[in-house]
Amino acid sequence: MSVRKNPILRETSHLLIPAILLFALYVQFHGDYGPGGGFQAGVIFASGIILYALLHGTKRAEKVISLNLAKTFAAIGLLLYAGIGVFGILLGGNYLDYNVLTQNPVHGQHWGILIIELGVGITVAAVIISIFYAFAKFKK
Amino acid sequence: MMVVMVIVFLRAWLGPSLYDRILAINIFGTATVLIIAILGFYMQRPAFMDIALVYSLINFIGTVAILKLYRFDDLGHREEKES
Repeated sequence: MSVRKNPILRETSHLLIPAILLFALYVQFHGDYGPGGGFQAGVIFASGIILYALLHGTKRAEKVISLNLAKTFAAIGLLLYAGIGVFGILLGGNYLDYNVLTQNPVHGQHWGILIIELGVGITVAAVIISIFYAFAKFKK
Repeated sequence: MMVVMVIVFLRAWLGPSLYDRILAINIFGTATVLIIAILGFYMQRPAFMDIALVYSLINFIGTVAILKLYRFDDLGHREEKES
């Protein structure tokens, strides 16, 4: 399944990969009004990268997102999640208490959910990409 | 639609060659997408459309992955000549 020998596969996938990534962002940021959320968005985003890796091999995919970068992003997402929780404590609430984030509790809930879901999405996408690398590079 | 899915499932189960099975699974996924879309229309929940979209995208990626695994026994394969 080399890319050069399969023009149909190449063109279709190169049309689909940006659409998949864009749809992942839509699911991410529209998650509080429709179906979706951080986990689903992360999986969709990772599946776009996985499609790229299937087409071009893991070596070229690792030039886009290397394994170390994926691990770093997993840590950053978790840090975002935990940091918002600790930030709530610093502002005088409980852990992961969104009400104190802004003056208006409703706005606080909104921003809190958005940032938490962003952290979840980043972590899930990074971890799934690294799991795929681990399986794809496995030698018998 | 259910009849189509049953027939296609039988083809995937009995299918003489691998390509019959892969094609059958692909058609099964397409039928699932259609059923999700029809259900969303019937239950007046347009949000089902997003789920149908995700399902079709994942279906495509899954088919590509199965074909590549069958052809090369390796998901991370890359042709050496390509730079």
